[in-house]
Amino acid sequence: MSQQSSHEQRWGTRVGVILAVAGSAVGLGNFLRFPGNAAANGGGAFMIPYFAALLLVGIPIGWAEWAMGRYGGRKGFHSSPSILGVFGKGATGRYLGVLGVLIPLAVSFYYTYIEAWCLGYFWEFATGGIGIDTATPITEQTARAAQVYSDMTGRAANGVVSAGTLETLVFWVLAFAVNIWLVFKGISKGIEKFVSYAMPAMAVCALIVLVRVLTLGTPNPAIPEQNVVSGLGYMWNPDFSALGNAQTWLAAAGQIFFSLSVGFGVIINYASYLRKKDDVVLSGLTASATNELFEVGFGGLITVTAAFVFLGAANMIGAVQGGTFGLGFTTLPVVFAHMGAFGNFIGAVFFFMLFLAAITSSISMYQPSLAFFQESLGWSRKAATTLMVSICIAGSFLVMYFSKGGLFWSTIDDWVGTFLIFVLAMVQIILFSWVFGIDKGMEEAHQGALIEIPHFYRFIMKYVTPTYLLVIFVFFCKNNLPAWVQSVVDEPLKQGAVALIVATTVLLVVCTRLGEKRWRAAGLDVDGREPAAD
Amino acid sequence: MSPLGWIFLTLSMLFVWGLTGWCFYKVLTAEAEIEKPPDLLGG
Repeated sequence: MSQQSSHEQRWGTRVGVILAVAGSAVGLGNFLRFPGNAAANGGGAFMIPYFAALLLVGIPIGWAEWAMGRYGGRKGFHSSPSILGVFGKGATGRYLGVLGVLIPLAVSFYYTYIEAWCLGYFWEFATGGIGIDTATPITEQTARAAQVYSDMTGRAANGVVSAGTLETLVFWVLAFAVNIWLVFKGISKGIEKFVSYAMPAMAVCALIVLVRVLTLGTPNPAIPEQNVVSGLGYMWNPDFSALGNAQTWLAAAGQIFFSLSVGFGVIINYASYLRKKDDVVLSGLTASATNELFEVGFGGLITVTAAFVFLGAANMIGAVQGGTFGLGFTTLPVVFAHMGAFGNFIGAVFFFMLFLAAITSSISMYQPSLAFFQESLGWSRKAATTLMVSICIAGSFLVMYFSKGGLFWSTIDDWVGTFLIFVLAMVQIILFSWVFGIDKGMEEAHQGALIEIPHFYRFIMKYVTPTYLLVIFVFFCKNNLPAWVQSVVDEPLKQGAVALIVATTVLLVVCTRLGEKRWRAAGLDVDGREPAAD
Repeated sequence: MSPLGWIFLTLSMLFVWGLTGWCFYKVLTAEAEIEKPPDLLGG
């Protein structure tokens, strides 16, 4: 398998590819970002714009990506530049498709670093906890958790080892090695085999934590209002006035959009290893549904409820506003410390679950660039892996060296992991619905389909999804871009991150140009002029 | 927890668990059909 070219690779089972795509989508955001977002934006009422965005944006773009990937695979292509070149019928689509390699590659620079934190927290809880004394005031407990977080991430100054601990670097090496080993083993024997164990294991971990949280009752009889039912109420009681606020709709659409990993460049690559008669409609829907199960079914019940029961309503506002990482790495460790005898066990299970969520996502980030280097440069899997690993090590070491305040990696997250995802998703849905044509696209999607996409989705995918996405994007840019640009101008660390993004982009564009020459010389249908072969 | 909170919670859980369950049922039954020997298909 190690010498197998990407052209020969196939998924072993339908469930395997579904779990791989779902694993790519389920990440830290499902357990940490979603509940914080919902609680801060109308509680139960948040679910109205959330499910609307799922049905109008998330699932349709997912279907388009699955269909585009499989179609491109039949033409012998496995990367976003070559496949979008086919759908865009020329160079514009091809070079915009570079985003589908840049996004997962650049996000992987910092994602394995975060994965190392999860592993580090798992290790700490499995070996006795992080030293929070529950007899001290809650502010001291939170300060201790914040200190551990700072040490683990090296936020105090540049250099994750000198400003933090050697532990993070050791866990990063471990996490990175496992990722590369799995990707190198190939689609079926590496990624598919791993997710077939990791996804059920993640569900079991989530169930264990969920059962513990829902059976917490009223841990402190002296404060009867801090109980599980009130915690659920904090998360789920609807505030309908929030629906009149554009921010709620933006937050809901953004949550769906980033959670499902659409516009990320992964689905299009994974789907390219399917055969013509392999279903994509039911598979795409199942992968999205699985992500929703982890996000709403587990994330919606665990995090905020547990934090409320131990911290109370007064401390929840700060916890929710602390964002994904504040809630996960500063608030929850305090909560686990309050769980008594089983607290460290539940903490270890929770962070192992986050680690599984992170690694099933990160392995999906390496495959697109590996496939791209193989097909653009004509290199063997071994040589392409060596190039990809070299780039990733360089990028990740820059992230870990410039660790002060988390500015370097969060800049990559803002510009690549957020902004460019919007751009790529819009490019994909426009190429699918308008350039390739919605009728032709739907015909392609229904090849081998086990269920039928309702006919009205032609209208949705052609008009509603692009418009919805455009409106969100405009609001998003209006709310964020001026501050982002200004912070890059003011902060040298952020300028370094932008330079890394630009350098990576230039490399990928050069490879695309080389690839285009190779593909034309090989007689491949680079500009999508011919129908795909069976 | 207000009654409306319970309603939103219950409906959301029913939706995500129901959709995921239905999807995997369809996937797994289709997978089983593929794995059957040809003479067993269609009786």
